[in-house]
Amino acid sequence: MTHLLEVSGLSVRFGGVRALDGLDLHLDEGETLGLIGPNGSGKTTSFNTITGFVLPAGGTVRFAGEDITAQPPRHVARRGIARTFQRLRLLTELSVFDNLMVGQHLTLDHGIWANLLGRGRLRGAIARQTDEMRTLLRHFSPTLPDRLHEPVSALTMIDRRRVEVCRALARSPRLLLLDEPSAGMTPDETAELMRDLQNVKAARPSLAVILIEHDMAVIERVSARCVVLDYGRKIADGSYAEVTRDPAVRRAYLGEEADA
Amino acid sequence: MDPALFAQHLLNGVMLGVIYALVAVGFTLFFGVLDVIKFSHGDVVMLGAFTALATSIAASAAGLSSPVILAAMLLAAIVGMALVGMLMARYLVLPLRNAPTLNVLLVTLMAGTVIREGVRLFYPQGSNPKPFPRLLPTGAFEFGAFTLRHDSIVLLVLGVGAIVFVHLLIVRTRLGLAIRAVAQDPETAAAMGIPFRGTVLATFAIGSALAALAGVVNGLYYSEVSFNMGLLLGAIGFSAAVIGGLGNVYGAILGGFVFAALQTIGAVALPFASAYKDVFAFGVVILLMAWKPGGLLAERSAERV
Amino acid sequence: MGAPDRATIFPALAAILAGAGATLALLLAETQWHVAVVALAGVAALLIGGRAGFGDAIHRSVASHHRVTSATSWLAGAVVVFLLREHNFELLMLCTVMLYVLAGLGLTVQFGFAGVVNFAAAAFMGVGAYTAAVLMTSTGLPHLVVVLAAGVVTALIGSVLLLPLLRTRGHYAALITIAFGILFRTFLEVNDTLGGPQGLKVPGLQIFGYAFNEAIEFDDETEWSFYTAYAGVFLVVLGLAYTLVRRVERSWMGLALDAVRLDETAASAFGLNGAAWKIAAFSFGNFLAGIAGALYAILTAFIAPASFTFGDSLLLLSIVILGGLGNPLGLLPAALVVVVLPEKLQVIQEYRFLLFAALVILILLLRPGGLMPRRAREYFPGRSS
Repeated sequence: MTHLLEVSGLSVRFGGVRALDGLDLHLDEGETLGLIGPNGSGKTTSFNTITGFVLPAGGTVRFAGEDITAQPPRHVARRGIARTFQRLRLLTELSVFDNLMVGQHLTLDHGIWANLLGRGRLRGAIARQTDEMRTLLRHFSPTLPDRLHEPVSALTMIDRRRVEVCRALARSPRLLLLDEPSAGMTPDETAELMRDLQNVKAARPSLAVILIEHDMAVIERVSARCVVLDYGRKIADGSYAEVTRDPAVRRAYLGEEADA
Repeated sequence: MDPALFAQHLLNGVMLGVIYALVAVGFTLFFGVLDVIKFSHGDVVMLGAFTALATSIAASAAGLSSPVILAAMLLAAIVGMALVGMLMARYLVLPLRNAPTLNVLLVTLMAGTVIREGVRLFYPQGSNPKPFPRLLPTGAFEFGAFTLRHDSIVLLVLGVGAIVFVHLLIVRTRLGLAIRAVAQDPETAAAMGIPFRGTVLATFAIGSALAALAGVVNGLYYSEVSFNMGLLLGAIGFSAAVIGGLGNVYGAILGGFVFAALQTIGAVALPFASAYKDVFAFGVVILLMAWKPGGLLAERSAERV
Repeated sequence: MGAPDRATIFPALAAILAGAGATLALLLAETQWHVAVVALAGVAALLIGGRAGFGDAIHRSVASHHRVTSATSWLAGAVVVFLLREHNFELLMLCTVMLYVLAGLGLTVQFGFAGVVNFAAAAFMGVGAYTAAVLMTSTGLPHLVVVLAAGVVTALIGSVLLLPLLRTRGHYAALITIAFGILFRTFLEVNDTLGGPQGLKVPGLQIFGYAFNEAIEFDDETEWSFYTAYAGVFLVVLGLAYTLVRRVERSWMGLALDAVRLDETAASAFGLNGAAWKIAAFSFGNFLAGIAGALYAILTAFIAPASFTFGDSLLLLSIVILGGLGNPLGLLPAALVVVVLPEKLQVIQEYRFLLFAALVILILLLRPGGLMPRRAREYFPGRSS
């Protein structure tokens, strides 16, 4: 059986540096994969390469049976892959609603009739989207739905992170790539975000997720399987328990924590 | 083509190239330290030329000799423009450091308009072209049909000397090191104890001093200056800096000579009309941008995600 | 509708009345003092009113009575034209203002919405103007077709810049349009077929056999300026363009353009095709500039390279920034200030480039939002869903 996402031999070079070195990765529908590794081990680069922001020097990316290697981001998005950015890239002067609609870009009707002339359809679409987005936001915060029309710049960092995640979820992607969604959150807030994510996943059982995360405890709770990167290479792939026992992983990444 | 004629065009092209390079180096230095375009730079060139002109009138009224007048003109223009450059950096460019990048371009475009209109309105009969004093030796070497004017030699030496001076300043001195450090990474530079603001002001002073020199050289070469000469010179200097790749000093020098070559080729080689030389040169600049969007000596490539 | 609901329309009506009144007062002011007082009062009203919250009140009021207020605005425009019917010079200025606003709308879509720089707006007006002049003198095309064709040709010529514009950003893109503006002006000056520095004469407008360049006479000795008819036509064109631009802003299109301007890279992760939207915005903006240029040529009956300089492009850009980048409504007061003030206030006529340049510097440093800062998008004003 083919996997939903199959990355094989993916290599990326920045000048002389091998940011990714023959990465193999696969993921099935409904699965949640934790992607971990020290800083600079190639986690974000692998996201950027899968989504077409960075061109690989070699290797392939297949999604739902089709080759999407080196396709531009907007084509990758069309296949049903959505992502968040480690350093949030919300359009802060626009409203929460507008930001979520950027996430919905591909579902919206950009035709001349709907937007400029008739506009009845636009009115209907906006009403529908407003309801849908309130429901989505409610998964993550009881107060966010009421702030739908406020500019993102008025939100706290934590709420912005939630909106960033919701923007990626808006168009019901098949694969969600989360790049450290809990960066800067307290342990409690992180736990809350992960619980919210699991709620969304419970409602969308086929959604596949790859989560980049620093906190091993978080990974242990949300993902059945982890992949560990070091210097652009995969050094372990397995359940949390297997991976944390792996000596290579302990050397590369868990050294201090293993002693503690 | 007749070799003498060819040499004549070559000399003319090199002369233009030196002037353009002097202007372009300023653009690229400013971009290097602050990632901004100061479009008023061309009008600073013009203001430098007018400052020199005014100085020469005052100095010759005082009955000074030609070499002294020339020295006074250069001194007044260079010091004056260095000050103007620092003031503009301090009050127009630095306050907009966190605004959208194009706002600086807009502000300085408008500042250029203020300078241009200021000279047109407030310099006596400023809207007419002004004769620029001929202070350099007037003789010439004749090689058949090829004439090498003595003043051209002086101007070339002056221009090339200034470029070499700036090169040494950047490569050899502490100030140059500071400029390169700020251009590389302002935060790290600040952490290493390099004063950001001081370095930026110094950079603008140097760039504007070069602009003043370009204005004087331009005036001496054409024996005429006018209030609106800066607009075209600014656009050309900007083009030259962009052709070479913004932030790259050698690229700017290269770009200056490329633009001069384009104009010369446009004037000589286009059989139908040499009047189209600027149309040709700017057209090629647009094409170059399409071909090499980051300039000929581009350093940076993909945007960071 | 209940009585309290009806009362909420007053701020909107008052604003329209004040706007029309200020326009008339500025155009008709006779002494230099009057002009200065009217202009200062108008600008002060905008600035102080905005700070005191009148702006919000008016905005809410306009939003909740959208149809009535837009109808009233059309009516107010028509009334202003009608009241000026015997004032030749004032009507000419009003027409010029409307054309600058029209070109400013194009620039708003390009620069304000999509973030595509254009430092050659006047050059694009020039393309439209020369196209119209050539088509009207050398072909028998109906003049309405000529005006539309001028817009299309301008958009097509603009598309020559698209490849370099799409491959570059920021300062590099700015240079391309600057280079084009200078190139175009130089080209006109040296090209003899297009009249060189002397320019071209343009015949008067004729629509369905009606000749616009004849004064409108009535039996009883009253005579309306022939600019009345021009002003009427321009009002309709401007109204349509304004409505169109507003609808672009208040739709998924406007959102896509905002996304292109604010963070094209992030938006591409959700399928947005930044290049396509930039092409659309740039071409549409140039189309409007071309139409404005064609109408300008017809209005002034004569065009020359000196009308489409880099300085004029900067003046247009000043209007867009002064009014509030991205706010189509701000164009009107800004164009009034930039176009009418120097004409009426002869003291400053000579100094106008200097003054407006300084004004834009101050705005960018102190109040980057302009006279009327852009507001958050409301897809359907008044229906906070």
